[in-house]
Amino acid sequence: MRMRDIVVRAGRSLRQAKARTLLTSLAISVGAFTVTVALAAGAGSQSYTNNFIKSNGDQSALTVIPQDRLTQDNSQKPMKYGEESESTNGQGAFTKKDVSRIEKIDNVAAVIPEYGIHAEYVARGDKKFYADATIKADRTEVALAAGSLKNGDVKSGTVLLPESYIDSLGFKNAQQAIGKNVTLRFVGAVTSPYQLPEKLDKTLKIAAVSKKSTTMVQPQATLQLSVADGKEINQFQTKGTSREGIFSMLTVRLKNEDKLAETQTEIESKGYSVLSLKDVQEALFQFIDIVTYGAALFGFLAILASVFGVINTQYISVLERTQQIGLMKALGARRRDIGRLFRYEAAWVGFLGGAIGTLLAVSLKWVNPWINSQLGLESGTELLKFEPMTSLILVASLVIVAVVAGYFPARKAARLDPIEALRTE
Amino acid sequence: MITVEHVTKTYGKKKNSFLALDDITFSIPEGASVAILGKSGSGKSTLMHAMSGLDRPEVGSVHINGHDILKLKQKEVDAFRSHTMSFIFQSFFVQANESCYNNVSLPLEIAGVPLRERRKKIEAALEAVELLDKKKNRARDLSGGQKQRLAIARAIANDPKILFADEPTGNLDSVTGKVVEDLLFNYNKKKGATLIIVTHDDDLASRCDVQILIKDGKIQDIKRKGKK
Repeated sequence: MRMRDIVVRAGRSLRQAKARTLLTSLAISVGAFTVTVALAAGAGSQSYTNNFIKSNGDQSALTVIPQDRLTQDNSQKPMKYGEESESTNGQGAFTKKDVSRIEKIDNVAAVIPEYGIHAEYVARGDKKFYADATIKADRTEVALAAGSLKNGDVKSGTVLLPESYIDSLGFKNAQQAIGKNVTLRFVGAVTSPYQLPEKLDKTLKIAAVSKKSTTMVQPQATLQLSVADGKEINQFQTKGTSREGIFSMLTVRLKNEDKLAETQTEIESKGYSVLSLKDVQEALFQFIDIVTYGAALFGFLAILASVFGVINTQYISVLERTQQIGLMKALGARRRDIGRLFRYEAAWVGFLGGAIGTLLAVSLKWVNPWINSQLGLESGTELLKFEPMTSLILVASLVIVAVVAGYFPARKAARLDPIEALRTE
Repeated sequence: MITVEHVTKTYGKKKNSFLALDDITFSIPEGASVAILGKSGSGKSTLMHAMSGLDRPEVGSVHINGHDILKLKQKEVDAFRSHTMSFIFQSFFVQANESCYNNVSLPLEIAGVPLRERRKKIEAALEAVELLDKKKNRARDLSGGQKQRLAIARAIANDPKILFADEPTGNLDSVTGKVVEDLLFNYNKKKGATLIIVTHDDDLASRCDVQILIKDGKIQDIKRKGKK
C-alpha cells in the first residue's frame, strides 16, 4: 500500500471515532499546553531580563570598582588598623597609573575613567533649570524618544537629554529638540578664598532624547555627555584640588567580547575588583531555566500519562476493527501495511493533541497586554514569548511519542490471523 | 488451472487433534465455476482458506497457474492474493462507516494501483453491480442485498482471476440472493475468471460447472457438468 493511502485511511478511521480520537488527543494536548506555556514563559522572562539588564548597564563592558578598603587584598577578612595593604590598587579610587596598568592587558580596547562632573544649570535662551550631568562611559542601551545614538555612544559636542526637560526648555516635542542647542554651566573649584570660581559654559547639540523606561532601575533624569567633553569639564572642575586625576570607577571596553570572562580574571589578578553584568545575566538566566524546566517537567509528566491513553485507545481500536484487519489481509494487505495503518492513526492522534495544545497555548499571547497592565510593565513587553520553532519541534516529538505508544497495538493488529479475524462477527 | 494435491490440515495437538482436511486432491480448469459443497464443519471453509493461501496446511501443495502458493513466502502470497484473487463473505464485511466508493477502493489501494487508474476501476465495478448512484453513500445505509453487491464490486474492482465466495447468499432472502448469484456467474462468464463458491445450498451448487462434495474433511464426490 502507498504511504498516502494509508495516511488517508488512518485519518478517515479516526474521523469515524470522533469522540474517542478527540478525548485521547485532549489528554496529549494538556501536556503540550503545559510545556508550551512553560517554555514561552521561560523565553519571555529571558528576553525581559535581557532588556532589563541592557537598559541598566553594558554587558559587553567591564566595570572596575575600588576594592573595599576594609578588606585585605583578595581575602574576605578585615584589615588591621594601621596596616597598609600590599597593593594599593584602586583602594578607594583610581589614578592614571591604574588606567595605564589595565590598558596594557591584551583584550582591553579602552579604559574610560568615570569623570565626575557637576553642572550648575542647563539653559536654553533665558530659561535655566537645575541639571544633573554625567558622562556616558558605557554603551548601555537607552530607550529613546527621539534622535539616535551611534553604538550607544554620545558624540563629543552633543548631549543626551531626558524627556522631562522637553517641556521646560520650550520644545513642543522630543523630535523638535533634536539638533537644537542647550547650554550647560559648570563652575570651577574654589582654590582661593579671595577669588570667585571660574565658570565654564558648554553649548551642546541635542543628539537624542531619552525616555523613561520601566526596565530601568534608576530614574534616568541626568543629561549625559560624551567622554571627551566629560574629561575636559572634569579637569576644569578639579584643577588644583585633591580630586584632580582621581576617578571613582573605570569602564573597560573590550576588543573581543567573547573573551570577557578571561579578561575579567586578568584584571582581577592585578588586584582590582571587577563587576560584570554578564555574571548577573548568567545567574538570572540559570534561575529562569530551572523554573522553566521545572514547569515543563509537569507537562512532560502529563504527556507520559497520555501515552497510556493512546496505547489503550489503540488497543480498543484494534479489537473493534478485527474484521477490517482480517478483510485487508485476505485482500492481500501485508503485515507492514496493517502495522503502518495503526501507527499512522496514533501519529494523527499525537499530531492532533500537539496541535490543539499548542494552539490553545499560543492563543494566550492575547493575554500579554493584560499581564503587562497588571504588572505595570511597558506595553509591548511579552512575558509569554512563543517561538514557532519550539512549537513545531514539540508537535513533531508528540507525533513520534504517539507512534511509539502505538507500537504494541499496531503490532497486535499486524500479527492477527486473518482466518480468526474473519471469523469474528 | 488450480491443482490441489494431498492437502492435509490438522487442528490442535496430538490427543485432541482434529483432521480438518484429509488428503484432498483435485483440479479445476481455468474459468470454471466450482461449488465446494458440504455441511457446516465439513472443512469446506478450511479448504477455501488453503486454496487462497490464507491458511497454510503443513502437508500438500496448491498450484495456481504453476505457482505452489504454499511454498511462497508470506510477502509473495500476499502480493499474489492482492493481484489474482478476491473474496466475498457471507456477512459481507463491508466497512459500514466508509462510503461505497472507499469500500471498493480498498483492494486497489492494497494492490498499489495508481490513483489515476483507481477512479475508473471503482466506477466500472460499481456500475457492474448497479450501485454507481450510491457511491457517496455510507455502506451502513445500504440494505443487505446492496451490501453484498457492494462486496462484489469490491471483489471485482481489480479484475481478479479467481473469485472466492464463502456462502455469498447465506444472509440474503431468495430474491436478492438470486441477484447476487447472477452477478457472480456473470463475472465468471464474461471475464473468464474462476469462481469458487463455498456453500451448503444445493440449488446454488447445481448452477456450477464442478461440484466438490466434502464430508468430514474428505472429498466424497466430484460432479462435473455434462459428465454425469
